[in-house]
Amino acid sequence: MLLAKTLTSSTFKLALIAIGTFGMIVSAIFSYVYLSTASYVRARSDRANMTEYLILQGAYARSGREGLIALIERRIADRSFADNVYLLADPSLAVLGGNLKAWPSTVTAASGWAEFRAAQPSPDATHRPLLRAMLETFPGGDRLLVGRDISELDSFTEQIKAAVISSGALIFVLAAVASILVTRRTVGRIEQINATSRAIMQSGLDQRIPLRGSHDEWDRVAENLNLMLDRIETLMGEVKQVSDNVAHDLRTPLTRMRGRLEKAYDSQRSGEADQTLIGDTLADLDAVLRMFSSITRIAQIETQARTDAFRTANLVEIASEVVELYDAAAEQDGTRLTIVGDPEVKVTGDRDLIFDAIANLVDNAIKHGRAGGQVVVANESIDGRPVISIADDGPGIPAGEHEHVFKRFYRLEASRYTPGNGLGLSLVAAVARLHGARIELLDNAPGLKFRLWFAAPSG
Amino acid sequence: MTGGHRRILVVEDDPETAGQLMEQLTTSGYQVDLATCGNEALRRGAASDYAVITIDRMLPDIDGIAVMRQLRDDGVAAPVLIISALGEVDDRVRGLRAGGDDYLVKPFSFVELLARVEALGRRSETVVKETILRVGDLAIDLVSRTASRRGRDILLFPREFQLLEYLVRNQGRIVSRAMLLQHVWDLHFDPSTNIIDVYVGRVRRKVDGQQAYPLIHTVRGIGYLLRAPR
Repeated sequence: MLLAKTLTSSTFKLALIAIGTFGMIVSAIFSYVYLSTASYVRARSDRANMTEYLILQGAYARSGREGLIALIERRIADRSFADNVYLLADPSLAVLGGNLKAWPSTVTAASGWAEFRAAQPSPDATHRPLLRAMLETFPGGDRLLVGRDISELDSFTEQIKAAVISSGALIFVLAAVASILVTRRTVGRIEQINATSRAIMQSGLDQRIPLRGSHDEWDRVAENLNLMLDRIETLMGEVKQVSDNVAHDLRTPLTRMRGRLEKAYDSQRSGEADQTLIGDTLADLDAVLRMFSSITRIAQIETQARTDAFRTANLVEIASEVVELYDAAAEQDGTRLTIVGDPEVKVTGDRDLIFDAIANLVDNAIKHGRAGGQVVVANESIDGRPVISIADDGPGIPAGEHEHVFKRFYRLEASRYTPGNGLGLSLVAAVARLHGARIELLDNAPGLKFRLWFAAPSG
Repeated sequence: MTGGHRRILVVEDDPETAGQLMEQLTTSGYQVDLATCGNEALRRGAASDYAVITIDRMLPDIDGIAVMRQLRDDGVAAPVLIISALGEVDDRVRGLRAGGDDYLVKPFSFVELLARVEALGRRSETVVKETILRVGDLAIDLVSRTASRRGRDILLFPREFQLLEYLVRNQGRIVSRAMLLQHVWDLHFDPSTNIIDVYVGRVRRKVDGQQAYPLIHTVRGIGYLLRAPR
């Protein structure tokens, strides 16, 4: 299984390409070594042969056929020339002298180099020795052959050839084995990741890719994939939480509507009662629809990086408009709504969304603040960063609940029955995230203070 | 209602929604033509002179925005109300930028639709260039930005004056909360609370408090109506 995967893996194919390239380079080097060694050895032998030939040729020129025959016989008798072969023949190729019994039938050239096998095996060897000789045809038609046994030279180059081929083959086998091992390791790690992926698809997000602790790139890949899985798991949990909450918050008005309609269906038609019923049902439906549009709006802000709509605006101007819009609501509540701070604080962002976020915070502050208390919106620039804070002097939020308030549908038990759907602060959080702004929740002693730190304005 | 032709082209592909729209608009005294796809809308829109055209964004053949653009290119000047199930701000802006005059998100209440159609239809009537508008004993001066009833000045903040002006300009017609937010505050968002009601309540106290008769009336479930007693 693993071997099959190893052999089909792309790593292995890459290794094969590498081996192929490497093999060709090695072959080229070895061939060069072989060829240059062989030609060097042959050249040395040829030089010695040529010297001998020149001596014999000189003897023929000086003292004619008889002189040469005498020299050849002296040479044959001399043991130090044992490896040499000599042959002098007349124009009809009849042997005049030398240590070959007959003119070799394969040698037909008049002059130059020739290679041929001896007619009979040497006494100490089973094979017929290989000879290489220089040929000459004298003006009288006599033919001279001066050569030597190159069987040993030949077997030497053969040995080099064998060594080159076998070491090449060994290198190839070793490289192949090494690349299979390396590939197997790679494929093994990938298989682990694949196996975990399959397990996740089959059973759930609780699986993680095992780490080897080697801190290599595979461990880093596994680490990052595991982090991604953690993040997905968290998000899935949040989605489940939200859908549970949506189901809960939708079920309440829907149940109410259903009950109301069921009761009306069973009872007598009555104009006035029906009118009230339809009116109440419409109001409930509107609440449900409003919740839906809030959810989609938050989702839209969260998923789209709509930074192309970002402009530089005056935060104080936006805040003033919010304060003006909520002025009447505050007045009705007996709350004093004021705006303080710098007259101009530049901020880069989506004006409508920033308005929305501030409006939600002001709305919350008025709703959850103390009746007859005050809500203060303050704008300032701190270290070049635009900062807006919205503070009330109401009961505040227990410190332990601070981190929860931005969750969708989260509502403090105490405010479960005040109007609102628990989505306002999620929207604020989504807007803040889009703008790279940080939200701070502070104890206003008494009351609650939200502080938004926007990023320093661009341009 | 006031003069002018009352012919509407409804572009809607869902038969049930189209049926409801036609029935309700006919009941409200409009003559309604229906187009069930973009091509039909282009044909009808160019052929007749409509007071208002409502276009659904999701049509089977051509996108509603493209239909509207084409109508504009063809020289159709009738105000267009875009109706869409896509409620995002981006879409609104895109719809309006492409030449739409107003935008309504599905699902909507019919009263809201009617209010907007009425407001759009009025636009195609001749606009009277008056500096003082009167409804009953209320007079508002558009130049000095002041209002008075029976000659007694009413003290209004600028935004309150804008709100009153919008109601007066639409006198006798229902104005929804969303329309107020859009036209008085230039906001395209949906406050979950009743701030608009509170705001109108304050203006109403100033305008109608201790007067012979009220001018601003609440229309349950939708918004407000300013009119003189009959």
